[in-house]
Amino acid sequence: MATRGIDYANLSLKDALDLAILIEDEAQERYEEFAVQMDQHRTPEAAKFFRYMVENEAKHGRELSARRVARFGSAPSAVSRTMIYDIEAPDYDAARAFMSARKAMEAALASEVKAHAFFVSALPTLQDAEVRALFEELRDEELEHQQLVQAELYKLRPESGLSDDDFVDEPAAQ
Amino acid sequence: MSATGTLDFQPKDYKSDLKPIWCPGCGDFSVVQGIYRALAAIGRPPHEIAFVSGIGCSSRIPGYTTAYGFNSVHGRALPIAQGIKLANPDLLVLAAGGDGDGFSIGGGHIAHLIRRNMDITYIVMDNQIYGLTKGQLSPTSQKGRTTCTSRYGSLEEPVNPLLYVLAYGAGFVAQASPTDLVGMAAVIEEAIRYPGFAFVNIQSPCVTYGEEAQQIKGLKAIQESLASLGHNPADRLAAMDLAQQYGEKMHLGVFYRNPEPPPTYGDLVKERQALLSKDALPRERILDLFIKK
Amino acid sequence: MRKDLVFGMAGSGGDGIVSAGDSLIQAAAAEGYHGVMTKSFGSQIRGGESSCRVRISIDPILNPGGNLDVAVALNWEDFLKFGAELPVSGTTVVIYEAATGIKETEIPLVGVTPLQVIAVPIAAMAKETAGTERAKNTVVLGLIAGWFGIGAVAVMKGIRKRLAKKGEELVEANQRAFDAGRAFAMAHPLKASMNIVSSDTKGNVKLITDGNDMCAAAAIFAGCQFFGGYPITPSTEIMQFFTDHVWKYGGAVLQAEDEIAGIGAAVGASFAGMKSMTATSGPGLSLKSEMMGLASIAELPLVIVDVQRGGPSTGLPTKSEQSDLFAAAFSAHGDVIRPVLAPTSVADTFRITIEAFNIAEYYQTPVIVLSDQEISQRKETLDPIDTTQFKIIERVRPTGADLQDYKRFKQTENHISPISHPGMLGGTYLASGIEHVESGAPTNSGTVHARMNDKRTKKFDPLKDRKDLFEVSGNPDAPIAMVAWGSVAGVCREALLMAQEQGINVKLLVPYLLYPVAEGVYNEFFASVQKGLIIEQTHLAQTHKLLRMHLDLPKGVKPMARSGANPFLPSEIVAALHNLLSELQRSHEGNLQPQE
Repeated sequence: MATRGIDYANLSLKDALDLAILIEDEAQERYEEFAVQMDQHRTPEAAKFFRYMVENEAKHGRELSARRVARFGSAPSAVSRTMIYDIEAPDYDAARAFMSARKAMEAALASEVKAHAFFVSALPTLQDAEVRALFEELRDEELEHQQLVQAELYKLRPESGLSDDDFVDEPAAQ
Repeated sequence: MSATGTLDFQPKDYKSDLKPIWCPGCGDFSVVQGIYRALAAIGRPPHEIAFVSGIGCSSRIPGYTTAYGFNSVHGRALPIAQGIKLANPDLLVLAAGGDGDGFSIGGGHIAHLIRRNMDITYIVMDNQIYGLTKGQLSPTSQKGRTTCTSRYGSLEEPVNPLLYVLAYGAGFVAQASPTDLVGMAAVIEEAIRYPGFAFVNIQSPCVTYGEEAQQIKGLKAIQESLASLGHNPADRLAAMDLAQQYGEKMHLGVFYRNPEPPPTYGDLVKERQALLSKDALPRERILDLFIKK
Repeated sequence: MRKDLVFGMAGSGGDGIVSAGDSLIQAAAAEGYHGVMTKSFGSQIRGGESSCRVRISIDPILNPGGNLDVAVALNWEDFLKFGAELPVSGTTVVIYEAATGIKETEIPLVGVTPLQVIAVPIAAMAKETAGTERAKNTVVLGLIAGWFGIGAVAVMKGIRKRLAKKGEELVEANQRAFDAGRAFAMAHPLKASMNIVSSDTKGNVKLITDGNDMCAAAAIFAGCQFFGGYPITPSTEIMQFFTDHVWKYGGAVLQAEDEIAGIGAAVGASFAGMKSMTATSGPGLSLKSEMMGLASIAELPLVIVDVQRGGPSTGLPTKSEQSDLFAAAFSAHGDVIRPVLAPTSVADTFRITIEAFNIAEYYQTPVIVLSDQEISQRKETLDPIDTTQFKIIERVRPTGADLQDYKRFKQTENHISPISHPGMLGGTYLASGIEHVESGAPTNSGTVHARMNDKRTKKFDPLKDRKDLFEVSGNPDAPIAMVAWGSVAGVCREALLMAQEQGINVKLLVPYLLYPVAEGVYNEFFASVQKGLIIEQTHLAQTHKLLRMHLDLPKGVKPMARSGANPFLPSEIVAALHNLLSELQRSHEGNLQPQE
């Protein structure tokens, strides 16, 4: 989780909105990558959940984009994807072959926690009141997202305690 | 840079339709993203890029790009890449592969591309293991490591890829990690822009056979950006000092960038061709060279 | 008067006997004769035994000749090391260094009485006239001019030209040594004159070169712009020629870090759209085999020259052999056809090398040119070649329509798919050693693999109809036949003429295309044949076995095979043909006997 070259003290509302959109974009893309990986490795349940996350992130991204356009139109952005990494997107190694839906959800939950922590840590450095308000809102939304994932987790039957590795074939040498 | 002028390319323009065969969790997923980003930043159209690899998990990578790819034979990405570069110096030539491909079976080639200063960017996805063949020792495996070919622990010291290329005089040497995709993309971009042989070592964990300490969490614990250390990339000896810590610390960023890059092999070839072209007999008269006077 | 003379000369490297051979063939060419010169060396870098064989004739020369007409031994120890490479017979005039102290009646040649033996104080004459024994080779050239009528003027003209930069003093010393040799010969005439008749082609422009230089020149003529290789005897001169010339044509040469990198760079250059080649000899061919397989499956044009020497491994690195045939046809694993072509002389190395590029480019395949040490390092005089008669074929490029939805390995009627290269918009694809579908995407489907194997082998079918890659001479209906390729073909061409003169009804097939085996051509050739010889310089009779693998040879067709560095003589082949003729006659008589 990192940002680089962002001056939080002087962050404008426009740039803050753009930053939030970029964060959602990144998470959406990562979940999409994970979903494809799960398709490739015949892990449909995890794939399904990651696609659910893709939708969530996309929906949130669309809402933020609408606000940005309403308020600032197509004014050029001062932030870019090269300034952020892994804010709300799960780490690349959060994906695992044959991961259960539960493991997929836990990975997503960890990412939402990570994103929440990001907004919490950024808040004290913000000067602009509107930007602060936005970040507080985003922080709270991450909590909502966590609850969303938690809700999905509760729907699952408890796991047996057996590990995936007890069942799957060994990797195939190429 | 671009023969066709600068065009506006997005990372997705370099992503092919092929789905990676890598295991979920593999570091190479981020490396390919880093490459897409670096290529987009450079802005060369995909058809002006040749991307060559050898054999191994990571050597599948050219197929995941929209460039002209060449997934060749084990250890021989660099010889093929230099043939491509010599045949058409205007191409952007990338080579990539794993630590076994680059430093074991193909280890003999690196020194020679360096001393020729071939304008090729070489990316090694270093995971300290042979993944494709199911977890045998690799040239960068730590001494003492147990694998299926070292039940009682490896008896060998690992190769230090950074020191290796620095010692041979590589003009650009950097290290990156999936723990920092943005930094990785920046370093790859800088490597491509460097006029000459450029080497980027990427600590790309093997999720299936790698040890815990080599996973992203473990890497984060030992990573340190060279910029934060105040390292001057023009200082080759300081770079070699830092490179000694390969395996203990993971320094990210540029170890060495030759502040005065010498001409590349391609430059010298063009110069020679220009100088000698006036001496060319028409091809159909080439046998005149054998006339007995 | 003689129309044809074969000289064989041996000494230690310090005697400069190979330089003398060079001067002799150059002089002969200048005087309008045809000439062929082969060299053979021991294993030391300097000062070991070295020899050359120079054949000079007023007619075009088919091979370096059998038994020597003239043997020159600067010392016997070195001469004898060449054994069958320098065969002395009852018609040979032997000239040797008197300082060896051996009497003319006691020369160490077992079981042969030469026509005439002459001890000449060569070293002493050199010392006396030029002030150094080093001028022995010039004395020898004087002797040859005096006794055989070759180079009386042209030799010194050549020497003068070569040494002009080094000063008049040296030229004069050589002139005195040459004159002394010539004077000695005049003063001691041969028992029977062996003067060569003067050449009526005198004054014609002649080319003079060796097989390696010819191969490289042909490659550049064919449009080759890239050479990647590694030094290995006896192929290195090909790379050297490229180093001298290819830059002028916008090309490049890479002396790579090893054999694998050499062919790797050539594969890369071909992928990038450039005609490219590599050259090597036996051990290098072994090292390159993985890359050859890659070029086959990636369907990349590439020419690989293998100048054969004695094998396996280091074997006999300075001697000729044909034992790389199996390796050329079959090295690199997997089901694959890789065309193999073989020149038979310096002259046809031009055509065959161009053909190799044409086949490589057209069929998108690696092609091996199987030369050998004898052809590669022998010098031949040649009449000028009209290069405009040679057609150059380029690889098929995708059209605009192809590029709309480009599939690199598209199935087509002739199994050849248009090939793009980096830089071509719309043509991007993944080249790979892994099996691939039409687009180039990797696959491990058995069905696709079988289909692609089919494509990659069937595309070569038309090659087998290329009758122009075979030469048949002699009576087409002859019951007796010879098959020979490479440098052995020349010996057999001469044997054919000799056998015909002696009334044997015989024919000769010389394949320039060795692989894939053109069954049809052989079946047609063997239709009339009852007895025959597959004549080859291999220990295992590789050619015979390769042919039997593909077709049913007539029962009476047998190998005449021997290891390298043991050249065939036309006379012994004729003797073998006589044997076949007797067998044939006996079996006819046998057939006429009433059954018991």
